[in-house]
Amino acid sequence: MFCLETYLQESEDYKVLIARTGFKEATEVIKENALEIIYVNPGDKVLGARIIGVPPISVGINEEKGTVLFPYTKPCHGTAVVEIPVGQEEIDNVKKLNIK
Amino acid sequence: MKKALILLGCPESPSQTPMAVYATYKLKKMGYDVTTASTPSAMKLLEVGDPEELYIKNKVDIDSCIEKLDKGAFDLLVGFIHKDAAVSYFVTFYSILDTKSIAIVFEKDADKLAEFINTVSESTDAEIVSARAYHNPTPLRVKFDKTLQKLEESNAL
Repeated sequence: MFCLETYLQESEDYKVLIARTGFKEATEVIKENALEIIYVNPGDKVLGARIIGVPPISVGINEEKGTVLFPYTKPCHGTAVVEIPVGQEEIDNVKKLNIK
Repeated sequence: MKKALILLGCPESPSQTPMAVYATYKLKKMGYDVTTASTPSAMKLLEVGDPEELYIKNKVDIDSCIEKLDKGAFDLLVGFIHKDAAVSYFVTFYSILDTKSIAIVFEKDADKLAEFINTVSESTDAEIVSARAYHNPTPLRVKFDKTLQKLEESNAL
């Protein structure tokens, strides 16, 4: 199963679109850079890790490019937006989480 | 025994560490088994200030804690909020636990303080203890005491 934390530690092919920002700003960046947006609740597991944020949390999907964009928050570093390449199966799993 | 989780944010605000010890002391007196979830740096501050673990006994890493957290695992959540990221963490812990919660919101800047309070109140039903505070924890301590007293009197704790 895909594990986000391990992926971010061991891989280099993901993009950080913005870092050390606020949650609202991160949400805007996701909306500007994704063709499709789904919404999840705080604490929902996306790609194996709990998503941290204020509901509804936007998660971006670029299906043709094969990437998912999501907010990634740490207590002392604020929120970043990470875009990572994933397989179609993971994209389908992320879409199933949509609460809207 | 009732269980409480104290959620700490980034430790750069001086009021957080003494208030965390104080909140633990108060909740233990009320019969709670208290666990503190924080970053390693916030935990170091607590460990130096409480070397014999007279107050802070149960400590967990904030990110490990959130991954393993389940609904109802704690009877009370107390979160310290003085940064945007802390708002996100508190709302997330609140959403997962779905339990009685107190948000201790503090900031020097009045606009940021108002924004944090608004976001917490729009996203949760938590009791909010707030003050323009940075170095001086007294306004938070006084308001926290009043909130605990109010909740105790209404049998909410």
